[in-house]
Amino acid sequence: MSESARDRWLSIGMSVLLHGSLIVLLALGWWHLRKPAPAPTLSINATVVDARTLKGVGTASTPAPEPKPTPPQAQPAQSVPTPAVQPEGPPPPTPEELAMRQQAAQEEAEHEAEAQKQLLARQQAEQARDDAQRKAEAAAAEQAAQAKQAEAATAAKKRAQAQKLAEERKKAEAKKLAEQKKLAEQKRLAAERKLAEEKRLAEQRAAEDRAARVAELQQSLQEEERAQAAQAASGALASWQSVITSRIEHAWIRPPTAQPGIECVLNVSLVPDGSVTGVSIGQCNGDDAVRQSIQTAVYNASPLPPPPDGVPFPRELIITFKPTN
Amino acid sequence: MKPTPRTASPLRTCVLLLTAAWLAVAAARAQLQIQITSGVTNPVPIAIVPFAEAPTDGTDVADVVQHDLVGSGRFTALARNRMPGTPTQPSDVKFADWKATGSDYMVIGQVTPIAGGQLAVDFDLLNTLTGQSVTRQRFVGTAAALRNAAHKVSDAIYQVITGIPGAFATRIAYVAVVGEGADQRFQLVIADADGYNQHLILESRFPLMSPAWSPDGKWLAYVSFESHLSAVYVQRVQTGQRTMVSERAGINGAPAWSPDGRKLAITLSGDSGHPQIYVLDLSNQHLTRITDAPAINTEAAWSPDGRYIYFTSDRAGAPQIYRISANGGGNPERITFTDDYNAGPHLSPDGKLLAMVTRDDGGNYRIAVQNLATGDFKVLTHGRLDQSPSFAPNGASIMYAERPGAGEAGILATISVDGLTGLSLKPTQGEVRDPAWGPFIH
Repeated sequence: MSESARDRWLSIGMSVLLHGSLIVLLALGWWHLRKPAPAPTLSINATVVDARTLKGVGTASTPAPEPKPTPPQAQPAQSVPTPAVQPEGPPPPTPEELAMRQQAAQEEAEHEAEAQKQLLARQQAEQARDDAQRKAEAAAAEQAAQAKQAEAATAAKKRAQAQKLAEERKKAEAKKLAEQKKLAEQKRLAAERKLAEEKRLAEQRAAEDRAARVAELQQSLQEEERAQAAQAASGALASWQSVITSRIEHAWIRPPTAQPGIECVLNVSLVPDGSVTGVSIGQCNGDDAVRQSIQTAVYNASPLPPPPDGVPFPRELIITFKPTN
Repeated sequence: MKPTPRTASPLRTCVLLLTAAWLAVAAARAQLQIQITSGVTNPVPIAIVPFAEAPTDGTDVADVVQHDLVGSGRFTALARNRMPGTPTQPSDVKFADWKATGSDYMVIGQVTPIAGGQLAVDFDLLNTLTGQSVTRQRFVGTAAALRNAAHKVSDAIYQVITGIPGAFATRIAYVAVVGEGADQRFQLVIADADGYNQHLILESRFPLMSPAWSPDGKWLAYVSFESHLSAVYVQRVQTGQRTMVSERAGINGAPAWSPDGRKLAITLSGDSGHPQIYVLDLSNQHLTRITDAPAINTEAAWSPDGRYIYFTSDRAGAPQIYRISANGGGNPERITFTDDYNAGPHLSPDGKLLAMVTRDDGGNYRIAVQNLATGDFKVLTHGRLDQSPSFAPNGASIMYAERPGAGEAGILATISVDGLTGLSLKPTQGEVRDPAWGPFIH
């Protein structure tokens, strides 16, 4: 754009220079002929008007790219030189001079017209170039706009598509969730049902078991009573034995030589009141001290505690002394 | 627990009767079997009836026996005023009466003069529960040896009832310090194990220390400063004949007889200033060095099998007991780890227990035993300054010197190896130290 401006200014400068030089020539001519006053100035004004007019006529159809409103004041100066200048200027020219002057003016006018024409052409060319450029620019802009539009359209399309997809996905997820929920609920219900069923079964089984046990108990009452009686008797026997054992152990002053490895068997004779009536040493690897001590222990434990009810008193007791550490 | 009787049903009664019948048959057939695996360690109750005695020096044999037996911790004796009589022959004993006193055993006897001016001591040990004689023995001796005969009675009773030999008829040796200042004397004394019957075998104005019995009981080794320097002597007890066996530079101390009686382990410091254990062969005076640590090494004691020497050493900073081969060589093995002071080792005759002086947290020096197999460590005494433990030849008791209070003279005491029974010996004149319990006398 700046280039075209520079060109324009260049052309304007050139035209001014040209007009300037023409004016100088005209002035010199005039001076030479009659020393006319400031005609060149007027002619310059006329030229400008011509150009504008020409321009306005010649290019009426083409739109003015940048209307340069020139003040229309210079128009009257063009056609006739003002008489007012006459009295002050040199003496009126002779006919020859006038003809020459007219010819010169004509030539100048022609020349001027030619320059105008050239200027116009140049301006037109410039205009055309500018127009073309503008056109091109406009086209480019148009194209860009179009591209942009197209792009925007594509983007919008894409967005729309994405949105659509997202919506679809959302929908699918929601659907899935709902399905899962439903499934879980179903499962829960199933589990509850199962639990309830199991509970019911367990209760049923328990009830059955209870019943069975009761029946069993009832059925085996006799056996149980019998077993219980036997156990009571043997338990009493065992406990009696342990009482005797403890009693003898407390009575046994164990000599230092009664070490592990010593084993002595005593046959102890009893009478029904529990008294020890005789002690005889059987198998025994102990020394005199051990023998004495175990005999003494048994006698010191006498009389032994009476046996439990129903258990007859044994006439003989076998006592094994087997010291541990 | 006896089951509480329930309402009797005919069936139950029938079952019970059947069970009873079965039990009766079983009992009649197989008897009742009982197994005893443990007993108690209570003292055995015994009645020692005064002996029928011919007029003597006033020795009460039964009293000596009772003192011996009760002092061992293994017997309790029936007081004489609770005795239902004083029988001297088994035929005179009404066992039911004696049994009623709670005595399991009774001892009866008499002392009778026999030919040659000697006395015979006869006794019977009877079981009051069975009414049987357990043992009947006779000891013969001079009237002067009546106490000794009584100790022999004690030994016999002890042996029969406990299963281990008595050590009542044995002797002890010790050092007594009598007098003060310029009159101070050091005495080497031999006495019966109960502290009676003292015999002075050496007296010196200079210190006597560390008497040790030869295994046969015929010799004593000891340390004497009679030449102003320490020296080790051996002296025949019977005759007083003595020999100086070591008078080397520095310390000559702490003699201990090897079990075979041929060698003495002694402590010598030489010029080094570090006492070391040596073994001196008495037959050829050959000296073998046993220890070599640059520390105090002293108080040798032989293991009964003669393989090891136990000794005190401060090589680890504080006195502890170590063991080393009696042939020398090899590294000593530390034996004691309880408390920070253990010294004066002495081994039981069976080699299972190590007696020593240990210092407790309160700074008291007490007698302790360590089981060499298990490492069990047990402090036996409760004194302030108990020293020089020495096992009885039967291993049942330990004799030691105790100082009852500050400024009080030391006396002798015994303690049973279970720590349950202690006994102070008959007080002697002066300060008593360094007891050594002699061997059995055969």
